[in-house]
Amino acid sequence: MIKISGLSKFFKGGARGVVRALDDVSFDVHAGEIFGLLGPNGAGKTTMVKLLLGSLNPTSGTASINGSDIATAGARGKVGFLPENHRFPPYLTGRQLLLCYGGMAGLSQTEIKSKIETLLKLVGMHEWQNTKLKKYSKGMMQRLGLAQALLNDPAIIFLDEPTDGVDPIGRREIRDILLNVKKQGRTIFLNSHLLAEVETVCDRVGVLNFGKLIKTGPVEGLISSKPIYSVETNELTEDIKAKIIESFPQSNFENNTISLSAENSQQINNLIDLLRRNNINIVAVAPIKVSLEDSFMRLIKGEETHE
Amino acid sequence: MNKFFAILYDTFLEIRSGKIIWLYAAVMVVLVLVFSLFPSIKIDGTGLDDINLLSPEMASDMIAFFFNGFFGFVIFLMVFGSAWLLPSYLNKGRIELVLSKPIDRFKLLSMKFLAVYLIKSLILIAMSVPIWIVLSIRLDNFSGYFFIGLLYGCLQFLAVYVIVFAFGLFGRSGALAVMGYFIVGIVTGLLSNREVVYNFLGDSVWKTIIDIVYYILPKLNEMDANFKPLMTGEGFIDTFSIYTTFGFSAVLFLLTLLIFKKRDY
Repeated sequence: MIKISGLSKFFKGGARGVVRALDDVSFDVHAGEIFGLLGPNGAGKTTMVKLLLGSLNPTSGTASINGSDIATAGARGKVGFLPENHRFPPYLTGRQLLLCYGGMAGLSQTEIKSKIETLLKLVGMHEWQNTKLKKYSKGMMQRLGLAQALLNDPAIIFLDEPTDGVDPIGRREIRDILLNVKKQGRTIFLNSHLLAEVETVCDRVGVLNFGKLIKTGPVEGLISSKPIYSVETNELTEDIKAKIIESFPQSNFENNTISLSAENSQQINNLIDLLRRNNINIVAVAPIKVSLEDSFMRLIKGEETHE
Repeated sequence: MNKFFAILYDTFLEIRSGKIIWLYAAVMVVLVLVFSLFPSIKIDGTGLDDINLLSPEMASDMIAFFFNGFFGFVIFLMVFGSAWLLPSYLNKGRIELVLSKPIDRFKLLSMKFLAVYLIKSLILIAMSVPIWIVLSIRLDNFSGYFFIGLLYGCLQFLAVYVIVFAFGLFGRSGALAVMGYFIVGIVTGLLSNREVVYNFLGDSVWKTIIDIVYYILPKLNEMDANFKPLMTGEGFIDTFSIYTTFGFSAVLFLLTLLIFKKRDY
């Protein structure tokens, strides 16, 4: 569905020399999945979407959408897009916006009018369709933007921070819409820094940092690559801590609790043996549920290497 | 065509939302009222033929003289009224969505240009025709050549708008677009009087350079010389200025398209 091969984008950065916004990135997005692109600010997420959708020209590399090279207008034929920090023209009403952007997507006025009511109802903006956009809140703009992105029955929808500025209820509604869209067999390419959101809706993710793709794979694979255990004790002296670090360098301490990213269950048993040999009372041993955020933070800090 | 009509519709709504549309309307209404209040040049002959105070030629000349100035003034207003349209289209947050639509960049920019030009030309026509009707009634002189003059006024605006459009794209700013137009206007104005400049130049190399620049740049002033003869049915008196101006416009427009094609947004 989307094939990206060695895509790079360098910008002239003045005194900073050349800024490598994206550096030799390759990955695929499969049909019918929700793919999340993660990364800290400035990692290159928006640059990636802009390259795929024709706002930027790549420095090197190739990419295709539905088999069409991204340099051609045809690649954007069955694509919907909700950009980050979009500025819809304030002189338009919600309805006029859909008429204009639907027309630019190649739809006739009759086709657009037949879809407007359904889409505006879907995003909860039906009552506001004749209000000028300058009176819309950020959340209302996002909902309308989502309707705009769905207008041409796209096979692929690119969403750049779709829940930015939306309240928790609105976020939940947008998330439900995305899952509903996925059920219809469409592909979603989601850029987000809200990891909980990505964890909930995405099938696969890619992690970008400093313009490089450092990991791609299923969300579950990213989260549970190494189990983490928490071992709570009564007392941990500096002497004991030193012994633990010597045997388990990947251990972390918080008060009297040790957290250990274990390669296997034998490691956690070895840690317990060490504590018992030193007469340390063990209060509790429990596995820690690792969130995508934890994994993401570890990845970004370079604790894990390329896939 | 759906794509062009969508761009045309969006452009129309954007122009309608601007304050300058009211200025165009106010100028037209004021002029229609002023000319309506003019005393008629026709004197009732009470049984004899009516007597016109102006000969038809004089009346034609007066109408041509008025519209020459009027079109110049309206085109000047339209430079201000249209300079911001492309830069606002290129604004971050707006252009990304436009570029994500399945429209080739060449076609997209050409359609935007055409949309602005068509709407502004229609405004020029809508402003001029009522004034012409009132003025013709008062001067008792209806001449179809007015429409040739009107078409020529639209062509003059085309030459001007290509410059404004190009500078709007290069600088991504309405102010720079207006400034670009003024710079070209001043330079071409000076070049149209280059014989005066020659007096300050002893070197013939400089004269040759100035001549070359003169022949390359548009000739907005010289084009104006055709207006009155066209309005009075005499036809073109200077076709060279038209060819060179539109040659320049075509090259500048092509350059604008190429820059838009290569630029990152």
